[in-house]
Amino acid sequence: MEKSVIVKNVSKKYKMYTKNSEKLLDLILPKSYGKSFYALHDISFEAEKGDVIGIIGVNGSGKSTLSNIISGIIPPTSGTVQVNGEASLIAIQSGLKNELTGRENIELKCLMLGFNKKEIIALTPQIIDFADIGDFIDQPVKTYSSGMRSRLGFAISIHIDPDILVIDEALSVGDRTFADKCLDKMNEFKSRGKTIFFISHSIGQMKKFCEKALWVQYGHVEQYGLMSEVMPNYEAFINKYKKMSKAEKQQFKKEVEEKRMVQA
Amino acid sequence: MKSAWKVIQEQIKNLYLIRRLSLYELKSENSNNYLGMAWIIINPMIQIFVYWLVFGYISGRGDVLLENGKHAHYITWLISGIFLWFFLQPAIIQGSRSIYTRIRFIAKMNFPMSAIPSYVIFEKLYQHLFLTGIILVIMQFTAFKASLYLIQLPYFMFGAIMFLFSVSLITSTLSTIVRDVHQILISVMRMMFYLTPILWEQAYLEKVPSILRQVLLLNPMYYLIQGYRASILGTSWYAVNHSAYTVYFWCFILIVLMFGSFIHLKFRDHFVDYL
Repeated sequence: MEKSVIVKNVSKKYKMYTKNSEKLLDLILPKSYGKSFYALHDISFEAEKGDVIGIIGVNGSGKSTLSNIISGIIPPTSGTVQVNGEASLIAIQSGLKNELTGRENIELKCLMLGFNKKEIIALTPQIIDFADIGDFIDQPVKTYSSGMRSRLGFAISIHIDPDILVIDEALSVGDRTFADKCLDKMNEFKSRGKTIFFISHSIGQMKKFCEKALWVQYGHVEQYGLMSEVMPNYEAFINKYKKMSKAEKQQFKKEVEEKRMVQA
Repeated sequence: MKSAWKVIQEQIKNLYLIRRLSLYELKSENSNNYLGMAWIIINPMIQIFVYWLVFGYISGRGDVLLENGKHAHYITWLISGIFLWFFLQPAIIQGSRSIYTRIRFIAKMNFPMSAIPSYVIFEKLYQHLFLTGIILVIMQFTAFKASLYLIQLPYFMFGAIMFLFSVSLITSTLSTIVRDVHQILISVMRMMFYLTPILWEQAYLEKVPSILRQVLLLNPMYYLIQGYRASILGTSWYAVNHSAYTVYFWCFILIVLMFGSFIHLKFRDHFVDYL
């Protein structure tokens, strides 16, 4: 099988400043200063063409950071990400301009993604048709409901035909009919041999749609494999965590957080 | 030199994109006002009125002696230069914040980041062209009707665009990394307004030591304002008559452009980290 995404030893460190003076010192001193937090620590995995990978993990474990790194929005602090093809991220805040109408936003986004005039003219009716928001397409985006916004965002991102699709919680705002429509479209992508990364808290959707699962636990990969193997372990962990007493939970969280913090 | 060339090539390749984006920018900026685009005219007019009131009328200024020996009413003379400032000032300020205010929106897009400051400048250029047209019409009702000297105007406009673009490459990069740079820039620009011959004519400088006069001349906006006045009031062939100053201006642009392109290319992959 051909590889589509190869992530090797990727770490992402964020500086944790408590005071403005620390920021200043860090900027001036040649060596870095202050504490850092590992959002991701030494992540490695490979994805093949046609894979549909669900990224699972509790809040704050680095799922969104990982999806941003795969789609090239933020660079990793260390390690390499090799992406064969064009990656596109679909997130809830889809970067639409509030003052402009839906139609203008479509042109704007397509322009920025490097489409030329002709391609945009051909794409626009398809996008409008898929978003299915009626006359609102000629109203400013600020008047949209959150559902309409995500529909438009999703419609644009899916029609630019990327090789690798990263979907970060984007389906959770749409209603059932729209989610089904999106899942259909994603199945079509799958059959065309494109790679999809899917982040969702709906375990049902995950099980239905993804074959593989990447369990990210507090910044590192806990398990990577078939959905049927990973999901039981993840569910077991969730249940165990739920059963802990409040003090135990806090103790557990503290330990994990300390592991992710480093000096400089 | 190599990075400057690369940045310029990126601009030429993305010219259509820059044009479209700047139009949208213009649209989204003015769509909230009932008077819409009319503010492009109203705003400068109010400001010109206030400056004329304070520095012309209240302080009882007489006519201004021009380079070619003619005299001009203070208000006519004021208008012919100040409207360039209404292009330079907002373009520099907006250019400086162009990248860090848009980085979220733009990070994953398939176009070079160097196009961001330029489309912001382009947006201001549309307004400037519009205002230039109006000023030229107004001038027809004064003693300074259109003359052959007007053909210098496109040259100085080009100079202004190059100046804004090269400066914005530096300021947008620096203020993305250190936000305070933007605040410093706002103060500097406020100062520059009084250190550039916008409200006072060059003859005013005769009383100051020559060293100070030379220092003030180092400001490239000085050159542009004087050039605009020479074209609109039809006083001289400014760029030719002051050839040494012209050479200095373009050297300044070249150096700033090279340095700006260099740091822009060096840091642009990491702009997102500085959010």
